[in-house]
Amino acid sequence: MSPPLLRIDNLCVRTRDGGLLVDDVQLDLARGEMLSLVGESGSGKSLTAAAILRLLPRGLVATGRIAFEGADLLALDEASMRAMRGGRIGMVFQNPLSALNPTRTIGRQIADPARLHVGADARQAREMALQMLAEVGIPDPKARIDDYPHQFSGGMRQRVAIAMALVCHPKLLIADEPTTALDPIVAAQILELIGGLRRRHDMAVLFISHNLAVVRAHTDCVQVMYGGRTAERARADVFFAHPRHPYGRALLDAAPDLATVVAAPPGYALPALPGQPPDPLARPPGCAFAPRCPAVAPDCEVAVPPLRRLERSEVACLHPVATPAGPRVPAPEAPMSASTHSSRPSLLEVRDLVVRYDRSRTILDGLSFDLAAGECLGIVGESGSGKSTLGRAVLQMVAYQGRIALQGHDFATLRGRAFRDQRRRIQVVFQDPKESLNPRLSVLHSVAEAARLAQGLPRDASLAAARTLLERVRLGAALYDRLPEAISGGQAQRVAIARALAAKPALVVLDEPTSALDVSTQATLLNLLRSIGRAEGLAWLLISHDLAAIAYMADRIAVLRAGRIVELAPPATLVAQPHDPYTAALVAAATG
Amino acid sequence: MPPWARTALSRIATAALSLWILVTLTFFLAHLTPGGPAYAILGMRATPVGVNQVNMRLGLDVPLWMQYLTYLGHLCTLRLGYSFLLNQPVAHLIVMYAANTLLFTSLSIVVGTLAALAIGMVQGASWNRWPGRLIGAWQLATYATPSFFIAGMLVLVFASTLGWLPAGGITDAHMTEPGPLSYARHLVLPVATVSLIVAASLSRYFGQSVAEELERDYVRTARAKGLGLRDILRGEVARNALRPFITLLGLYLPALFAGSVVVETIFDFPGLGWLLWHAALQQDYPTLIGVVLLIGALTIVGNLAAELANAALDPRLRSRTLA
Repeated sequence: MSPPLLRIDNLCVRTRDGGLLVDDVQLDLARGEMLSLVGESGSGKSLTAAAILRLLPRGLVATGRIAFEGADLLALDEASMRAMRGGRIGMVFQNPLSALNPTRTIGRQIADPARLHVGADARQAREMALQMLAEVGIPDPKARIDDYPHQFSGGMRQRVAIAMALVCHPKLLIADEPTTALDPIVAAQILELIGGLRRRHDMAVLFISHNLAVVRAHTDCVQVMYGGRTAERARADVFFAHPRHPYGRALLDAAPDLATVVAAPPGYALPALPGQPPDPLARPPGCAFAPRCPAVAPDCEVAVPPLRRLERSEVACLHPVATPAGPRVPAPEAPMSASTHSSRPSLLEVRDLVVRYDRSRTILDGLSFDLAAGECLGIVGESGSGKSTLGRAVLQMVAYQGRIALQGHDFATLRGRAFRDQRRRIQVVFQDPKESLNPRLSVLHSVAEAARLAQGLPRDASLAAARTLLERVRLGAALYDRLPEAISGGQAQRVAIARALAAKPALVVLDEPTSALDVSTQATLLNLLRSIGRAEGLAWLLISHDLAAIAYMADRIAVLRAGRIVELAPPATLVAQPHDPYTAALVAAATG
Repeated sequence: MPPWARTALSRIATAALSLWILVTLTFFLAHLTPGGPAYAILGMRATPVGVNQVNMRLGLDVPLWMQYLTYLGHLCTLRLGYSFLLNQPVAHLIVMYAANTLLFTSLSIVVGTLAALAIGMVQGASWNRWPGRLIGAWQLATYATPSFFIAGMLVLVFASTLGWLPAGGITDAHMTEPGPLSYARHLVLPVATVSLIVAASLSRYFGQSVAEELERDYVRTARAKGLGLRDILRGEVARNALRPFITLLGLYLPALFAGSVVVETIFDFPGLGWLLWHAALQQDYPTLIGVVLLIGALTIVGNLAAELANAALDPRLRSRTLA
């Protein structure tokens, strides 16, 4: 067997004061192969990738051996290393807008590596950039090459970033969450593109992702990381058939899968993973996953389990999962009352909703729907379809034409106090929970303040109300005095939900509530939202581009396209018989 | 009306409104101060009769609101009035003194800004390390030192002790070397003083701006392409870091014209700052308001220029500014 293209041995990444962020990682990647490095925040996957190009954030030091085409990258001098970057190894990052320089044309940015690494002059480099743009599927490259990044859509920007990484035809592409910021249909196209380029150029791909479902169809190998260590690695078919590490298994189960959630009986709950992703600087002495592991045994907490071979996998676990990953068995849950939305009176009534921007651009173009008390209406659509604007219109945060009535009261007829009181009955939870919390208020006071403002409670009563609310979102009392910066994303999102509930709303708008969260935390939060909604008879307006998550939560799904509802149906109907071609594409992208 | 015309019109309207507010505030604040030009002209022991006569001659005997309306009326026909003290048209005075200030301030700005860009680039690239920290300490020290002290020290060293340069004024008292060379020699110390202050404060902003830009994702992308730090600073970062810097410069420049009061007074340099100072001391309202108006207009023009410069640098703003 020929030596692998990339071989990492004993890679450690340390902070200046000796904290281990990546701990003894091994990795092998053969020529032309695609390996997916999967893990949640803090797993060390992105640091491992950055260490290969020696682009670690300042203050972090990598040790070990990274052999690429026979050279040890960690021992190279800076000039040879620069020749590697962009020349022999290309890299693509997560956010395609911020990863491109806003003040330079894409043509110049793509041409840089060509000038640097293959000695092309300005004209040749431009020619190479044109060729590359055509290859990554930018229509009419000649007309677009002198455009600036902001003139492209998110998916097109990512294509530009890929063109830039591949213009010198490197033998290795490192892709750090390249599809995470994109909506699912576009993400599928980008993956398709990377797959095609890989085959055409016999290029290896190191694909970093937190989402196993994304890589399932494309990858040759899977390497799961947890707490800075490798938990498991195997060929993709072996891994997906039988994940051996309890964490790999949990990760596979926790991501809502469209087919499963649609086919599941009413009582089905997502198998969620308790606890928080690990803090790599405060790991337990034994297995990093032990505190959250459903199969934890006393010996797990004694020493770090080594990576050992188990049939066709390698796994760092003393008690690997014995059963293969079969079709998922829905877990039983308390049966819900069998009332359907059609029999319930309408809570929110939206008629002929039109929102225009700058008098000329129409964002929402005549939407009408009803939402019953206790119902969850899911809104899906690609970026730019108007789904977030719909949420803002319902919240009375943008000017609109048409009728929006809550409990029979049209907002347009209300003034002053009556308007404000009515508006308070609709609350919102945003995508980025940390951004939406006041950084100087503790968890408890953040919620208490909302209770005081909304219900006019005195101080003591508002604190008591806040405690009750935080219990309802199942947040432990130990966190009450912490500031937002000292809690995790999932915990912050619970605080945001508690704060929304403090106003005793009838309707809560959830704008991408889980897309900033890790997969394991996401399932917990979705289950929590569902149980709160049922217990309180709350109505949700759930906006997301994650069709599987919406299908799990929603009673009905509205598909938005160019400001119109193109389809409105219960999840099962929508998935089984999509009428609109866009819905069909969305379903196809979600089922992979 | 095409959109650009509407934008231009609203810009001009905003500018006119700002200037009107400025004139009104200055007018009433100046008239609120006790004393009056009559005392400045006649001295503190002036008789009430004499004061009345002077006030009548200057038109200060009518009610204040009438004076105000008269002044505004004149302003609309671009007449700035006569200086009470120097008995010359204010416009004439301003042109005379502004020429000196313009030369002195522009030189200081050019020298100071170029130094700020160079120093800021070095500081931004080594933020929180050496030599970035050393530069930061120097900036803070210079910024904290009053300009009259800096000016005084420069005079002490280069004029009094070494005798290389004149200590003040604009022409040589003994007229030993008349002409442009003498004028230039008189400019050196005031320009050095202001450039030093400009360089210290502006380089801090630019340094911070460079340091922030270096943290951005596109810089990581540039490094992943194989670009070195020098290329990244010059080709990628400079343009982006300049944008906030230019906005600041647009706000800062007019303040420099106004802020030259202290330095011009110390060096006895007959510029706008000097004129403003003396007009304020002697309650020469027309001159005072005229100079303030000029500084206000410069501020507005400075902002507009910064906005246009930014639009030229940033393709995202280009469409918005012109649309």
